[in-house]
Amino acid sequence: MNVNGKRKWSNPNKPGGRHHYRPPYNQPALKLLIVGCGRVGSQIAADMDRFGHQVVIIDKDPNQFSRAATRGVLTTDFKGDQVVGNGTDADVLRRAGIEDADGFVAVTEGDNRNIMAAQVAKHVFKVPRVVARIYDPERAEAYEKLGLHTICPTIEGAKHIEKTLLETH
Amino acid sequence: MYVIVVGGGTVGYYMSRDLLERGHEVTLIEKNSSRADWLETQLGSIVMRGDGCEVKFLSQTGIERADAILAVTADDEDNLIALQMAKKHFNVKKTIARVNNPSNVEIFKMLGVDEAVSATDVLLAALEPPITT
Repeated sequence: MNVNGKRKWSNPNKPGGRHHYRPPYNQPALKLLIVGCGRVGSQIAADMDRFGHQVVIIDKDPNQFSRAATRGVLTTDFKGDQVVGNGTDADVLRRAGIEDADGFVAVTEGDNRNIMAAQVAKHVFKVPRVVARIYDPERAEAYEKLGLHTICPTIEGAKHIEKTLLETH
Repeated sequence: MYVIVVGGGTVGYYMSRDLLERGHEVTLIEKNSSRADWLETQLGSIVMRGDGCEVKFLSQTGIERADAILAVTADDEDNLIALQMAKKHFNVKKTIARVNNPSNVEIFKMLGVDEAVSATDVLLAALEPPITT
């Protein structure tokens, strides 16, 4: 970011430019908070950063950031911020800049932690786009009904595998 | 009264014991089975082993006729989810949470919990002299 707090774009047409991605011309860059720096969280953070969005990734274990780097996901060209702290803690979220965030993703290992973090983002800080990963299908359905956008990898993953299995001869 | 207590740690144990002594009907939910075994030796058959955040499990506890549910585990997120399930699925009249992070008192109320109690706040109130106006 430059001094005005605006993102500096690299020229996408410049050959050999390091960052080729930017949001489509009609889409402004979004400020995104990601709670949980596991495989999924770090992947989303890296992708969104490459797409030109402003990313803050939060994890209570600082080693998770270096683990992601070792996996080649959050490497030195990641321009976002890394915050160490509990993603259900309002103070930590405030420090990470939730008050002007456009999107929020909760992908820690704990279903309940994701549900709580997502609800705090949605109902306390009024973040417009909030997504929570919930492994337990029942809990995912319950909170989907309550208006939370939930992704249940258990059901999605199983469906996907079953489809592939039945299509393969 | 019929009261469900989620979490059989120190707080949950003494809370259940006290409620029983006062003549109330209590079900104490504990996830850890060896802890539940110990609780059973102290309190008898009121202990149920399971996850207080799971709707299917909660439905086996007679929660529909509960007058109140107290969630007193050491994890705020678990307390919140258990109480939201009790409220939204089973219409329990009174939901009460133990809150470990004091800033969650307000948040829990915004998210539909009837009462949220923070030990930190209680202790601080005991320390501070009353403010005279």
